[in-house]
Amino acid sequence: MTDLLQLTFSGLAQGAVYGLIALGFVAIFSVREIVNLAQGEYAALAGLAAISGVAAGLPLLVVILLVVPFVVLVSVLIERVAIAPVKKMTPLVSIILTLGVSTALKAIMLLVWGPEARSLSTFPGQNFTVAGVSIRSQELWILGIAAVLGYAVVWFYEHTLHGKALRACAEQPVAARLVGISPRTATMVAFAIAGLVGAVAGVIGSPIYFASWEHGLTLGLKGFVAATLGGLVSFRVAFIGGLMLGVLENLVAGYLDSGYRDAVAFIVLVLVLVLRPQGLALRGSGVRV
Amino acid sequence: MPRLRTLLPYLLLVVGLVLFPLVASTNLVNIGVYVLIFTVAAVGLSLLMGLAGQVSLGQAAFFAVGAYTQAILVTKHGWSMLAALPVAVAAAMLLALLVGVPLLRLRGHFLALATLGLGIIVTVVVRELDYTGGTSGIFGIPKPEFGGRVYNTPAEFFWLLAPVVVLSIALAQKLTHSRIGRALGAVNDSEVAAECLGVDTSGLRLRVFVLAAGYAGLAGVFYAHWLAVVSPEAANFPLSVSFLLMVVLGGLGTVWGALTGAILVETLDEGMRTLIPQIIPGASGEVQLLGFGVVLVLVIILVPGGLAQLWSALVRRFRGTRADPGVAEDAPAALGEELDDLLAQADVPERGSPILQVRGLTKRYGGVVALSEVDLDVHAGEIVALIGPNGAGKTTAFNIITGVMGPTEGSVTVRGQEVQGRRPHVVAALGATRTFQNLQVFRSSTVRGNVMVARHLRSRAGLVPGMLGLDLAEERRTRREADRVLTATGLAAHADRPITALSFGQQRQVEVARALALAPSLLLLDEPMAGLSSGERDHLGEMLRRVRGAGIAVLLVEHDVAAVMALADRIVVLDDGVRIAEGTPAEIRRDPAVIAAYLGSDEDDDAVVHTRSGPAREGDQR
Repeated sequence: MTDLLQLTFSGLAQGAVYGLIALGFVAIFSVREIVNLAQGEYAALAGLAAISGVAAGLPLLVVILLVVPFVVLVSVLIERVAIAPVKKMTPLVSIILTLGVSTALKAIMLLVWGPEARSLSTFPGQNFTVAGVSIRSQELWILGIAAVLGYAVVWFYEHTLHGKALRACAEQPVAARLVGISPRTATMVAFAIAGLVGAVAGVIGSPIYFASWEHGLTLGLKGFVAATLGGLVSFRVAFIGGLMLGVLENLVAGYLDSGYRDAVAFIVLVLVLVLRPQGLALRGSGVRV
Repeated sequence: MPRLRTLLPYLLLVVGLVLFPLVASTNLVNIGVYVLIFTVAAVGLSLLMGLAGQVSLGQAAFFAVGAYTQAILVTKHGWSMLAALPVAVAAAMLLALLVGVPLLRLRGHFLALATLGLGIIVTVVVRELDYTGGTSGIFGIPKPEFGGRVYNTPAEFFWLLAPVVVLSIALAQKLTHSRIGRALGAVNDSEVAAECLGVDTSGLRLRVFVLAAGYAGLAGVFYAHWLAVVSPEAANFPLSVSFLLMVVLGGLGTVWGALTGAILVETLDEGMRTLIPQIIPGASGEVQLLGFGVVLVLVIILVPGGLAQLWSALVRRFRGTRADPGVAEDAPAALGEELDDLLAQADVPERGSPILQVRGLTKRYGGVVALSEVDLDVHAGEIVALIGPNGAGKTTAFNIITGVMGPTEGSVTVRGQEVQGRRPHVVAALGATRTFQNLQVFRSSTVRGNVMVARHLRSRAGLVPGMLGLDLAEERRTRREADRVLTATGLAAHADRPITALSFGQQRQVEVARALALAPSLLLLDEPMAGLSSGERDHLGEMLRRVRGAGIAVLLVEHDVAAVMALADRIVVLDDGVRIAEGTPAEIRRDPAVIAAYLGSDEDDDAVVHTRSGPAREGDQR
């Protein structure tokens, strides 16, 4: 029982990282129907940059305040350089493009930080034990920050005029324009938000896993799987899906074999796509002809 | 009869493959071996991307499954290379089948992401299992040996591979020009139109996906024998990216592009591996990925068609552009006797027997009711018109009848079989096809090519006969029949022109001709008169009368009320998703509910304009 609680709790912390990354997928997909394969790279990049910042002797808070805007900027630049020039965006083209961006980012990280994986020092705080479950302070940091940011993103999209207009942009460009949002701006904002959640996920997560140049691939895939649970359009379900995936992975790693941790996401993906391709929360979607 | 122009590239390829090891250095031949191995996998991926319009980010997973299966059979079970090879290829194809069945029903991004995940899972599994040798993999795979001769130098292995590569390209190239290739090409232009002509999109995509995996598995077999060792890296992400890059760089959808792409990517790979550590001291690992990523983005933005696009631009410049003879606006030729021959092909029951029965059809979107409890019957040899103001639910009804969407409630019976909720190709197989309000022609094809797609259900050649060229007689027949359809519908003069070179009205006529080419027993036409000149309208009207005369059932949605009144045997009127009237044209003219519906809907300006000259005026006179 203690084992189960322990695995569940640390799984939640890991899952919160996936949940944030999933929000990034949803942010971009709901505006442009693009699955941004570079989404996981944002987390890897933020993690590595933060590690270098701390190693250079900067205070953690300063590092975060530098790294997060930097990754947001990178994401917006990617949109300007690689996404905006393409006139006819098909799923095929968007996958190839974002895969290209993701691959180039990986290589740049490899060149800058080298092949070895590293870890960020944990945020300040004491680890403690409750009812036999040991709780690391970093996990509380992750859950707290992810909850606040996740809630903020959901609130922005569901309760503010601009947020609603952003989501409407794909279907009703005219309505979006009325509140001052052009499809162009909407795409940039979506990439900025994707960069933000990816960067925060990377910074808060890198003390509990090893950040490396190739880590973005698996992080991204897991975030995508979580986003798929919400049909790629629901922020809430995507975030909760991330938490669930983190727990499930931890249970598999704890009770079966830790080597198969990375296979869990794929199996969940296939199961979801077979059973409920439109996502867990949504009714059948509309039809295009 | 294969012409010189199609044979020439193969001749050049064979000469090049024979000569290359004789003139190149051993080091270069060694690279050449990898180029050939990767070409085979890339050809498969190019079929998947070009024909099926799907991306696999896990082509390396199938490559690795082929390589591992071969390695296990040869080293652990003592099989010979040739005995193990088909099993290894089949293993890769089986995996693709298992993954593809659930995933290929879905659109867009899912196959890509799922195959990306598959690459990771295969890496994890072969790394974790002792049977596959863990992280170090499987060693000691022997070099191929035939007739007492061991192929162990790069040059020998190159020559051993050469025929495999030529064959891989030739078979794939043949496939793109077969019945299956034509159908999938049509799907890429308009999925819904292809399906309504009987193309089973997900079934065909699955077959191409499995075939692509087979190509990758075959490449994996040769990889295992050449490298003598297989490790988890064979399933790795960078390899999948490089396969993808080969296809994109060479030209999406061109089989030959896979070869040129493989040559370029391997050169780029070698170049980056040596160049980058010189510029950035201490750089190690998969640094060539930088080049891969940047080139992928640049190609897609600057030359989305890859090298094939550059090549055809060059050829055009060299030859000088041939101007299109312009859009001829001549009146359509008189309907030939061929039309009756064509219509006789339709398998129609006795005149007056029911072809289509719609009962209680309801479609709701959230709180909005698009259709409510609609009943509709169409019998053999009659023209039924479905009219109503814009937004009345006419096109929704069409979409549900043809399987483009499912109903919320109610049933659709075509020739005695309930089809509600089934895919469009199932409905088409029962003899029901349609045209579209917003023109859905296959834009990358010619007029004849468009019509040939409609003969899909009237021909049989599958994937394998198509690849092996066993379909030549059938292909000739299909072509001849398409030409007969064009003659019958007065479009023969345009047969070889790209469909996009025709005027809007002509494209609409091609759409109708295409639907007729299926030899349907039920023909659904969604505003076929829109955009036609008055001459073209008369022509179409005459054709529809002959279609009816042949015993075919016609369901027509049309805003041109005069045409409807002149053509239809019965008229069904929809308003706000509800059937408000049904009867002969004369009865409908006098129906007060119809008059009220048309006059009461001012926001539907389009419908009102038409009806002012139709039933509304009739009502005023009364």
